[in-house]
Amino acid sequence: MIGMHTPGERRRRFLGRVVQLIHGGIAATLGVVLGGAIVLPSFAKRREDWLEAGRLSDLPENEPAPTTVRVQREDGYTQIVDRKVIFLVRTGDATVKALSSTCTHLGCRVSWDPEALLLKCPCHGGVFDATGAVKDGPPPTPLATLPTRIEGDRILVRL
Amino acid sequence: MRRRVRALLDWIDSRTNYQTGRRHLLDEPLPAGVGWWFVTGAVLLFLLAVQVLTGLVLTMYYVSSPELAYDSVRFISDRLPFGRIVRSLHHFGASFIVVAAVVHMLRVVLFASYRKPREVTWITGIVLLLIILGFALTGYLLPWDQKAYWATTVTINIARSAPLIGEQLGSLMRAGSELGALTLGRWYSVHVFLLPASLIAFVAAHLYLMRRHGISGPVRPVRGNAAPFYPYHAFKDSVVIAAVFAALFTLSVSVDAPLDEMADPSDASYVPRPEWYFLSLFQLLKYFPGPLEPVASMLIPGLLLAALLLLPFLDRRADRHPLRRPVVTAGCAAVGAAMALLTWLGLQDTPVRADPSSWGPLAIAGRELSSDERCAECHRPGGAALELTSTRVRRDLEWLISHAADPEIIAPGLRQPPPGGMNSAQARAVWSYMRKVRAGIAPPEVSEEMQAASRVFATRCATCHAIDGEGDGTAGGDLSDVGRRRDADWLRRWISDPAAIDETAEMPAFGDRLSADELTAIVGYLAGRR
Repeated sequence: MIGMHTPGERRRRFLGRVVQLIHGGIAATLGVVLGGAIVLPSFAKRREDWLEAGRLSDLPENEPAPTTVRVQREDGYTQIVDRKVIFLVRTGDATVKALSSTCTHLGCRVSWDPEALLLKCPCHGGVFDATGAVKDGPPPTPLATLPTRIEGDRILVRL
Repeated sequence: MRRRVRALLDWIDSRTNYQTGRRHLLDEPLPAGVGWWFVTGAVLLFLLAVQVLTGLVLTMYYVSSPELAYDSVRFISDRLPFGRIVRSLHHFGASFIVVAAVVHMLRVVLFASYRKPREVTWITGIVLLLIILGFALTGYLLPWDQKAYWATTVTINIARSAPLIGEQLGSLMRAGSELGALTLGRWYSVHVFLLPASLIAFVAAHLYLMRRHGISGPVRPVRGNAAPFYPYHAFKDSVVIAAVFAALFTLSVSVDAPLDEMADPSDASYVPRPEWYFLSLFQLLKYFPGPLEPVASMLIPGLLLAALLLLPFLDRRADRHPLRRPVVTAGCAAVGAAMALLTWLGLQDTPVRADPSSWGPLAIAGRELSSDERCAECHRPGGAALELTSTRVRRDLEWLISHAADPEIIAPGLRQPPPGGMNSAQARAVWSYMRKVRAGIAPPEVSEEMQAASRVFATRCATCHAIDGEGDGTAGGDLSDVGRRRDADWLRRWISDPAAIDETAEMPAFGDRLSADELTAIVGYLAGRR
């Protein structure tokens, strides 16, 4: 096909390709740098720490106790005090389960109903038992369980 | 596949007529002899586009408040993926733009491209130059570091020296009685809204007028056929743009944009310097002291600007060749040489100050103090507070001194307040350490003797003496270059017992309070301060 073009046309096509190549290269370089700066922070993982959440001796047996864990953490270029509410459930002499208070349906905060002995979500009627299992409503999965550690009487939760 | 794409493009063209616009942009016939000199405008336009794009990303993370501005810039530089490069591209891109704008203007002047009927194109170009300088000026304050704060203080004071309207102009620039939050908000708004809007408007006008009158072409007509802009001249534009971008990108990858310590309005020791492209003006001010200052700050730049604006109306000879217009060419060379000379003199005149990236004795001692139980009890992973290496002190030194003395009272809510507190000398050292950490300056390797000297200086000397602006130097004086005035033997005798040398000395004797190793360490350190 190239043989059918005149030298002037071939030169024109060649110069056009070089122009496209240069601008494509610059656009790709800037795209990676600027796109990376925009997109990559979205995938950054939050740092987790073992935080003191209370004392084992203070917990009732098999009944979720709401506990507020206070943690100061970095939030981008600033620092905030993050207050997370979790439920601690004593399951044995030296064992404890920590449940997230965030409903697995759409993220509302569940609360403990001491009469029904159930955790209930006020938004769309999600219901969980004391182990976090779904009993009723739209939640697709049980409440998230957080890693725990016992040191003497201290309960540490990984958040 | 190709046929489908073509069909889709034809459909879009049938609805939008975009191909006509594309042809209008790319097929402009350029006169024969339009050579490499005519790429300067395209390079400038490209650099402005890079500046807009990098600026757009920076605004996603920058906060225009004195509390957070510095930390947000530090976040961009240190922790945002590719942030260091984005900021460097924006920072060095500003210098590239100033150079490209001057080169473009010189080309237009030397080729007399401003001649009839292109007078208004030229004037829009001058306005664009002022907009670019406005960007440089307003952008300078935004990082809110020492350089930003003090250079802007000087800029505003220069504006205040203007006759008649100086004070009003200064107040307008400050947006308040002091340089602070309102100033930062105003300059940020001007930098990211007002100036970009003006830039787009004037670039559009400049390009429209350039297309309306066509480009001026070579100074003397060259025989030959006109050729379309694309791909013949676009090739020249693109090659130079690629070279400029390669230079800018390489510089941005290999050199970090500077960022001083956070702005400290109470630091009287800081000597501000403007960016290199304002250095000639800054130097000029030194030759017109006191009441003559407006001559350098207003009159000379004003006359230069007026001459530039009137150039198309004053230079009306038929011949466009620069050697046939000796007044314009010589004037241009004289102004250029004067600005280059003033810039060179300004660079020679740069005051020597302590290297901000070096750690002083207070910071070194502060690092040691901050790692003990009094701080680490709370400032640890999972503790009541963040580690000190991540903690940003937002309050003043007096707050930190109170906090270090009694953490429970000033930061309520601690479950287990640490035993004991720190005295103010120790707290000052921790403060100095935290400022270094906040400025992202890596801690140095320190010998045991230097560590001991730092500890002694921080806890014993800094309550009355200062070194490199750190410590309370009001009572005992500055020891930054004490080694020039006194030798080690004299220093040892003086520190051990000042009254033995001077009966009226107010300084207490430290011979009994310091161990032999501590005395040797502090004497060695001070004797080495030259």
